[in-house]
Amino acid sequence: MLNQSFNGGVVIDNPHPVDTVGIVSAPLPDKVVLPLQQRIGDEAIPCVKVGDKVLTGQVIAKTEDHFCVPIHASISGKVVSIDKQIIPHKSGLKSKCITIESDGKDQWAEYKGCGTDFLHCDQATMIEYIQSSGIVGLGGAGFPAHAKLEGIQDCHTLIINGTECEPGIMCDDALMQHHPREVIRGVEILLHICGAQRAIIAVEDDKQEALNSLLMYCHNERISIEQIPTKYTSGAEKLLIKALLDIEIPSGGFAIDTGVICQNVATTKAIFDAVVDNRPLVSRIVTVTGSGVESPNNYEVRLGASFEHIVSMSKPNTHQHTIRMGGMMMGVDVKTTSVPICKITNCIFVNKLETKPSTQECIRCGQCNQACPVDLLPQQLYWYAKSEDTDKAMDYNLADCIECRCCDYVCPSHIPLAEYFSFAKALHRKTTEDQYRTDIARERFEFREYRLERNKQERTEMMAAKKEELKKKMANDKVQKDKIAAAMARVKKTKKANDDA
Amino acid sequence: MMMHSNALNTNQIMRQVMYALVLGIGAAYYFFGWGVILQITLAVVTAVVVESAFLSLRKLPVKPAVSDGSAILSAILLAISIPSIAPWWIVVIGVAFAIIFGKQLYGGLGNNPFNPAMLGYAFLLISYPLQMTTWAGEFLGLSQVIDIIFNLTSVDALSGATQLDEVKTQLALGKVVAELDVHSISQAWINVGFLLGGLYLIVRKIITWHIPVAFITGMVVISSILYFINDQIYLPMQDHLMLGATMLGAFFIATDPVSASTTPKGRLIYGFLIGVLVIIIRVFGGYPDGVAFAVLLMNITVPLIDYYTQPKVFGK
Repeated sequence: MLNQSFNGGVVIDNPHPVDTVGIVSAPLPDKVVLPLQQRIGDEAIPCVKVGDKVLTGQVIAKTEDHFCVPIHASISGKVVSIDKQIIPHKSGLKSKCITIESDGKDQWAEYKGCGTDFLHCDQATMIEYIQSSGIVGLGGAGFPAHAKLEGIQDCHTLIINGTECEPGIMCDDALMQHHPREVIRGVEILLHICGAQRAIIAVEDDKQEALNSLLMYCHNERISIEQIPTKYTSGAEKLLIKALLDIEIPSGGFAIDTGVICQNVATTKAIFDAVVDNRPLVSRIVTVTGSGVESPNNYEVRLGASFEHIVSMSKPNTHQHTIRMGGMMMGVDVKTTSVPICKITNCIFVNKLETKPSTQECIRCGQCNQACPVDLLPQQLYWYAKSEDTDKAMDYNLADCIECRCCDYVCPSHIPLAEYFSFAKALHRKTTEDQYRTDIARERFEFREYRLERNKQERTEMMAAKKEELKKKMANDKVQKDKIAAAMARVKKTKKANDDA
Repeated sequence: MMMHSNALNTNQIMRQVMYALVLGIGAAYYFFGWGVILQITLAVVTAVVVESAFLSLRKLPVKPAVSDGSAILSAILLAISIPSIAPWWIVVIGVAFAIIFGKQLYGGLGNNPFNPAMLGYAFLLISYPLQMTTWAGEFLGLSQVIDIIFNLTSVDALSGATQLDEVKTQLALGKVVAELDVHSISQAWINVGFLLGGLYLIVRKIITWHIPVAFITGMVVISSILYFINDQIYLPMQDHLMLGATMLGAFFIATDPVSASTTPKGRLIYGFLIGVLVIIIRVFGGYPDGVAFAVLLMNITVPLIDYYTQPKVFGK
């Protein structure tokens, strides 16, 4: 067990614990809805038409954007529509999706990977398999896995995040308990790709079962398994690295800058599937929990199935519910259970509708700054965010806020601090952009003024030069004329003289 | 559906601070009698009336703001800082001033740069120095106190100056410290009462240790230096600690989170300098005690202290 850790963070017990963490295989959904817009990058372009028959694992949309992964059909059947549908996003806005109706056969497209003796494959091929299999970070961030693995120079440590980012979520715990072999093999693949000397699998100390099953399958001396204290925000990459290695990633920097790569356990398992079989990511494990369901559980479910598909299996009670995707701290509220499960849907919280405690004034008690895992002063940031003084808020390092909501959680006045901060960040972005635009416009205007002035001056100079030239020419002409006149006079004179003679 | 911790909310924090005051108030009651209780009652009633009136003028909901307990707490702190036999209008004016000018005019709870109770106290001390420095000399019963507070009998026979005042007068008359009896059983016990209450607040994590420890350290350091320079005219540090409003100031006044520094390092600087100022005002100033002025002076510096004592942010 480790002694060092980061400052702050909050200890929250799992609000809805279960006796045994299992995985239930959810039945094939009748229909799946697959959004074309992923967490980052361009929207994918469909490569199927309405009415096309598709096989499970077949690519149905892709983009040229290198940051993106292709989108695969998660069931076999018929494409019934390509239109805008509600996706699980806090805006509640619709986004373009491909809807596939199942034929009930679940016929898979053919695929071929490196096979079980994958070590003979070179890194580039593996990374290509990872990308073409559609793998993104399954811990909730959705960052494309291949993008993290490309062009690695000096990586000394690979960290596998098995910390379960928030209380209540059990999907990674379940995965480690029931698929330890795949996780360990996945780690070996990642070690091969990134060339690190060692890998550390980080498991929280309340997950003894997961630790035991991993230990049972781990026979590689380059892989160690470390327990870390169960504390919220341990799952955040930079803080996990601090807790495990006592390395502080510089503000604004990335883990790889210090030679560390971090991947989630579920992503690691998916990478194993991708590299060994080149089998695309078409399902994931999702936790369904909360005060609104009788039996919280984990479900292995096809992507694009509706929330309702697995929520109904956890026996929802008859209360009015609120639905939240992701954890209770950083998740997003969604309006209905008809939205599709995405690659980042690690958990669905179904809670009884409760009235929020009313907000009171900030009394600067400082509990927030004790809880802040990145050592900010939320009480000061709140003051400046509220008065929309974003410059001052930036002085107090607003940009470093990870919006983990530890401050919200401990605030005795129940102030939604993180919301203020996310608003202030957006405001700052906007004012900076506006400022940039104004600056550009001003520069252009000033340059135009300068150009007009310069043209005018050049013209005046040119005119003056021309005039001068003309004058000179005229003067020259006069001399010529005089000469001609003189010559003429001379000629006349001579002629007259001749005539006279 | 955001979850909140089960820790205390703002109203409960205010209430805990009031509970922590009980020991000190009990000691004051034991030595000075019913006046202490009567002053607190008058102060609380005034605070509720003034706060409600002002909130309705500002067209704000009255109940949530009054029930947060912050006005009542300020009133209690002011009431226990003034002499238990001060006339009734003293506490009424003081509390009204504290609530209106110290708090509501800045925008209410959380927006006031100064500690409202100390602003009220300073206002009273400057305006009514006589009433503010005449203390009960013995335990007084309820009827006696009612007579005095509502101006029905003369107070002369029953009153005296505080110990700090007395020391100051005697030293001015040319006596040396060794000749003086500076010890005061009543003040020592009241200070002990507030010290225990303050420790309770630290244990309950309602305040952090930074301000009280720095406050007392500041007092100890500066009074020891002075005592070392000349032990004939300067009191030793243990006398300073057990006289006047030391413990009340260290644990209950300077720790008011709204007007205090809010960074860990800043709280140490803030507390230390208040401690230093308290001694300087006590020893060299015109008033017997210096807690109120020291706190108000340091309140002004809080934005500066907070800005320059930001903790190192992760990764910077």
